[in-house]
Amino acid sequence: MHRKTPWSLLAMLISLALVAAACQPAPTTTPGGATTAPGAPAATAAAGDADPDATLVTNLGSEPDSIDPHKASFVGEIAVIMNVFEGLMILDPKTLKPIPGAASAKAAVSSDGLKYTYTLRDGTKWSDGSPVSAKDFAYGYTRTCDPATAGQYSYVLYVIVGCEDWNSMDVTKATAAELQAAKDKLGVKALDDKRVEFTLNEPAPYFDSIATLWVGVPARESDVTKGGDAWTESPATYIGNGPFKMTEWKHNDSFTFERNENYRLPVKLKKWTYVMINETAVAFAAYQNDQLDITGVTSENLRAVEADATLKAQMVDVPGDCDIYAGYNLKKPPFDDLKVRMAFSKSVDRAAFVETVLAGIGKPADGGFIPVGQPGYDPADKAQAFDVAAAKKLLSESQYATAMPPIKFTFASSNLNKLIMSFLQQQWKTNLGVEVALDPVESTVFTQLVKSPETTPQLFRLGWCLDFPHEQNWHSTVWKSGAGVSSARTGYNNPEFDRLTGLADRETDPAKAADLYIQAGKILSQDAPATWIYYTQSKALIKPWVKGLSISARGVTGLGKHDIYVAKH
Amino acid sequence: MTRYAIQRLLLLVPTLFFVALITFALARAAPGSPFDRNQDRPLPQATIERLNRIYGLDKPMHEQFVLFLGNAVRFDFGSSLVRDRAVADIVKQQFPVSAQLGVQALLLALAIALPLGVISALRHNSAVDYGSLLFATIGTTIPSFVLAIFAIYIFSVNLHWLPVFGWGTVDKMVLPTIILSLGPMAFLTRITRASMLEAIRQDYVRTARAKGLSEQAVIVGHAMKNAMIPVATVLGPFTAFLITGSFLIETVFSVPGLGREFVRSIGSRDYPVIMGVFLLFAFLIAAANLTVDLVYGVLDPRIKVGK
Repeated sequence: MHRKTPWSLLAMLISLALVAAACQPAPTTTPGGATTAPGAPAATAAAGDADPDATLVTNLGSEPDSIDPHKASFVGEIAVIMNVFEGLMILDPKTLKPIPGAASAKAAVSSDGLKYTYTLRDGTKWSDGSPVSAKDFAYGYTRTCDPATAGQYSYVLYVIVGCEDWNSMDVTKATAAELQAAKDKLGVKALDDKRVEFTLNEPAPYFDSIATLWVGVPARESDVTKGGDAWTESPATYIGNGPFKMTEWKHNDSFTFERNENYRLPVKLKKWTYVMINETAVAFAAYQNDQLDITGVTSENLRAVEADATLKAQMVDVPGDCDIYAGYNLKKPPFDDLKVRMAFSKSVDRAAFVETVLAGIGKPADGGFIPVGQPGYDPADKAQAFDVAAAKKLLSESQYATAMPPIKFTFASSNLNKLIMSFLQQQWKTNLGVEVALDPVESTVFTQLVKSPETTPQLFRLGWCLDFPHEQNWHSTVWKSGAGVSSARTGYNNPEFDRLTGLADRETDPAKAADLYIQAGKILSQDAPATWIYYTQSKALIKPWVKGLSISARGVTGLGKHDIYVAKH
Repeated sequence: MTRYAIQRLLLLVPTLFFVALITFALARAAPGSPFDRNQDRPLPQATIERLNRIYGLDKPMHEQFVLFLGNAVRFDFGSSLVRDRAVADIVKQQFPVSAQLGVQALLLALAIALPLGVISALRHNSAVDYGSLLFATIGTTIPSFVLAIFAIYIFSVNLHWLPVFGWGTVDKMVLPTIILSLGPMAFLTRITRASMLEAIRQDYVRTARAKGLSEQAVIVGHAMKNAMIPVATVLGPFTAFLITGSFLIETVFSVPGLGREFVRSIGSRDYPVIMGVFLLFAFLIAAANLTVDLVYGVLDPRIKVGK
């Protein structure tokens, strides 16, 4: 007689679940979403519609490793630092070019192009109201170069005289006197309370772009000394000159920021919370539950978003700052033949790649090496454009036309990489009739392999994400003969490319420099030491009540932070 | 008993030493370093070498291990290699959260499992028994993170009753506590039921009934006390497992606990944190097992610990 009961219990559970599902409206008609038409009243009401007590809640993903500006290097860390601090220069959200931040203007450059002097704005203050001095900036830069700071990102300042020498010293072995002597040679000097001067190793007009970075934000020596290693932990010592001040850091849980009343511009948002949700599915649920105002969209939940009209209207594209490409070892057959490299480059359907492999979250590499949206992007660079007929012709003309050696495509094993490489493998097989074997290896093995040209595989995955948005950080940093991040691996060496980028790096006229970089970029694409595959991009969901955003390659909220606000809803 | 406890405590020293040795060796044998985590913006080789030097990672392995031991006996576990925080601070801030979540889940599991298990045994093959079997099957077979995602979609996204993530207020603790307790609850229910079933068929229970004791006295005073021994056995490891933090539950609900931090430290090859947290876990598990062994003596006088 008891036999029936478990089934009735099960039936009860199921009906309970059904009732629960039926009792509520469609999941996305959240209280706010139902009443506020996305973006409707914003244009006319400006900031008048701002909710004075609203808190913006965004997701940082995971706990940052370090929020010490002179050590940090990861996106989440920078998101915290740049809420609290401001450099001499900042990035224009539209062009990603440097414009004055804490400094009143771009650097005054000496006639030999080696000395860069910035003058601070009048009345710039720390969030506690005391004045910011040029000495605080000098201290910040000095601290980044200091080997004792053990920063990961100090190398971007190696263009400053003495930074590399001092930074490379062995703090465990060098004497205090030796360290001091190296420090004294550093080309960073506060001339007075208002002016800070940098002496560079070579003329570098791109230094204004470097001055936008977190490594060059000011710090008050007294705060750092008082807090010691933990100066970043406490709101009492983690004091900055940026639009917000950190008021609380609950580890692995959240950050709270409040408006800095002493910022040089009015800050519209009163309070901003960063939460730390690792799982994208959870963040998506939190967004639907109105616990998050902004969240990223991954290819996994893209379909759910697109199937829902409300969510779809809240989705935006966010430009990225990486180029992902397939690199060739120019010393190993068959890629020592330009025609083979070009045939490979021209036989990849990048638009189909982005659609199928990336589910549309990315941009086909339809220009040169520099991604769309970045200074130096060249839409006219079509050297590697998809053209199967031309690719076949090139291959038939190559010295390996009749006897193609076996080709292995080596990459750090990951799910995404496997998808990417299989697609490319298929393209080369279909369009060129060339068999390419896939060779996934452990990521650290891969890192070891590509350290020297001798061990670098013939065909391998490469990529570059910028340090700062300037052509120098793309062309010269990555492809200059010998020392470049990718040229060292591929063995790329073209004196004409070096000459053009060398000229451009020193050129003080921005228009002339841009033109030189464009010429250099075209040569690079024609030499095809790599096949540009795609530019990274992302998608985000933004609640309609979040206004004043400047969406850029620095993210949805990375730039123009003082203008962000939450409208009444 | 006291002597036995002291002996067992002393035995902890070599145990922890070997845990430290094995953990150290395995952590270093895993390829990678704390400084090579972004393949598309790799740190220059010179920078990596400089950082290795600063943190002493360029020294020979045995030298690093001796240094670690020397500091560890003074309870100095150093600082994280990638975070600006001391290992002790990370543990101090994150462990209480995991412990609280674990204790809540354990108490909830016990509060449901013990009565349910006992009733299932007393009325076996009844509706309650089958119900508890169904529940136990679900609880043990469906992974907690799957249940967690279902719970989020039902109670947060659709019904808007509870927050999706976070910690610190009661409403935020409800889902993670319940989901974390389900697995142990199901297992404890089954084990209580089984050992209770066995106990009530024993001669001494029949004897107790025969001499006219009330049903309540028979069940609580005689059957249950003996039935608790297997339960206590699993309770030790369960407690250690629950309070050291469930990585999955902490990740899904974004709970700022030690479990998440631990997995993070392995992923980023943060050797000092790996060592510190592993040793803490080893100590807790050993302590839990010791406690269980001592409790045996209380539950069943026939078990003489220390002999």
